[in-house]
Amino acid sequence: MHSENAAQTTRINTAARLEQLRVAVVHAVLLIFAVSSVMPFVWMLFGSFKSYVELTSGESLWPQVWTIENYRAIIFRANFPQAFWNSTLVSVVVTACVVLTSTAAAFVFAKYRFWGKEQLFIVILMTMMVPFAVVLVPLYVTIADIGLNNKLSGVIVPVLFSTFGIFLMRQFLEGIPTDLIDAGRIDGASEWWIFSRIVIPLSTAPMAALAVFTFLFNWDNYLWPLVVLSSPKTQTLPIVLAGLRSLYWERYDMWAAGSMLTVAPVMLLYAVAQKQFIRGITMTGLKA
Amino acid sequence: MTVRQPADRRTAVLRTLRKPQFWFGLAVLAPLVIWYVWFAFSPIVRAFWMAVVEYQILRPEESEFVGLQHFRMLFEYNLFWTSIRNTLVYAAVFYICMVPLALFISACLTSVTRGRNFYQFVIFLPVVVSLVAISLLFKMLMNPQLGQLNEILRAVGLPPSQFLTSHKSALYSVIGVDIWKALGFYVVILTAGMLNIPEEMYDAAKVDGAGVLARFWRITLPLLGHTLALVSVLIVMHGLQVFAQVVIMPSQPGGPGDATYVLNLLVYTEAFANLRFGFATATAFTLFVFVFIITVIQLRLLRPSWSY
Repeated sequence: MHSENAAQTTRINTAARLEQLRVAVVHAVLLIFAVSSVMPFVWMLFGSFKSYVELTSGESLWPQVWTIENYRAIIFRANFPQAFWNSTLVSVVVTACVVLTSTAAAFVFAKYRFWGKEQLFIVILMTMMVPFAVVLVPLYVTIADIGLNNKLSGVIVPVLFSTFGIFLMRQFLEGIPTDLIDAGRIDGASEWWIFSRIVIPLSTAPMAALAVFTFLFNWDNYLWPLVVLSSPKTQTLPIVLAGLRSLYWERYDMWAAGSMLTVAPVMLLYAVAQKQFIRGITMTGLKA
Repeated sequence: MTVRQPADRRTAVLRTLRKPQFWFGLAVLAPLVIWYVWFAFSPIVRAFWMAVVEYQILRPEESEFVGLQHFRMLFEYNLFWTSIRNTLVYAAVFYICMVPLALFISACLTSVTRGRNFYQFVIFLPVVVSLVAISLLFKMLMNPQLGQLNEILRAVGLPPSQFLTSHKSALYSVIGVDIWKALGFYVVILTAGMLNIPEEMYDAAKVDGAGVLARFWRITLPLLGHTLALVSVLIVMHGLQVFAQVVIMPSQPGGPGDATYVLNLLVYTEAFANLRFGFATATAFTLFVFVFIITVIQLRLLRPSWSY
């Protein structure tokens, strides 16, 4: 009896220790991946404050001599302020428009009944299946035809509506009770009032997620701005940043500083709005 | 009866017109439909037309119909086959590495409670950072002589690599960076999917004596269903449509030689460097065919047959 109890205790002890070991291993694995996700950025951050000689000699991570010469050169010679402003303008305008148009369209698709609604929605969704490369040239011709070539509006106009955004917002708005909307109608509220005072306040969470996504996508977009924008006055950050390869051939210190300037606003946004980022992704993943 | 019908219809129309919903709906849908016709549907239709004509940039209406000639030219074009091979290798390797890795990390994340948000925050960081910046960053880290990555390889006793400068390793180097950058995105989706699986399932399995691996194979994977199908489709689409990395990371776009030349890059160069709009669009259609076929097959294979 006694020894049986003891055996059981040791078994439980071994099980508990195994469990502890497992948790420790899992933490170790996650830590390795976490460190490898961050280290390149740390290297880039410190590298941007090193001189070219120190950066390429690769002595230590921490700069021996701090310098802001790289940033000065990037800001004053590589047209970064203009590009920064262009990127901000494009991203902010597109984000505001996409959030508004997606929510309004999603409201109509979720709560209205009209002839051909589902058919129209499916046709819109089907455009998501087509790779961007297919419409690259025809869309360029369309934009050139209406004279938006080499203008920021040429980047903005083709993304004013977002199929993904309409889809995301519709998924969410279908969950809002229709009674709430009907109650507003019975009280004589206008549709705009219902939209702006009932629908929008209820859907701030997916709207924030969509806003974060849209901003990020437009801030980072490379292919389409590369095609449309050709003069330095109109180019966005990714184009100017990629141009550093030829402007400062193999000057890693310059590249690091330019990358930091491009990345900093997005990292700040991420640090502040981390919840929206994660929530936006999980919402699409679970409801699709 | 026949006399009253038009009047009925007219009152019905009038009633619709008096509804506030009608005007709000019109105000929303009219711009939407106009925009979609103008900037989404008609470019797609125009793409079909462009692929079968010799497109004249200055006088489009005089473009001559050439049928499937672009496709015939494509099939005789060596760079096209190289691009297809690279694109498929890229997508396949990206998929084969990404799916198990993302599942593994997600399983690790779901099995810890302390620090989960922190790990997620950090692993997701590369996702939000501009692709161009990351390409430049790794171009520096992968420099064979000066780069940090070779130092790490040497420190752990592995032979250094030529990375982007060698024809053999360039494509895999680009894939590696892409996996590093995109991992967090799929991890976040999969983790959310795993956390959604009812805890009772695992408790029941534990009572039955199922180990960690058995629980993963028999419960987590089957119950991930929709999430896994979505992630799988997204990963393939991602791999097939790579562009910015192969332009920025190698010494010249698609280089060294044609080692990282992919279909998207071929479309871009044919259109905007060689100004062969029709030929470029025909190339894009072959990419479309790949995306379409693989997506349909995946949705067929991975569609879950049951839910909880």
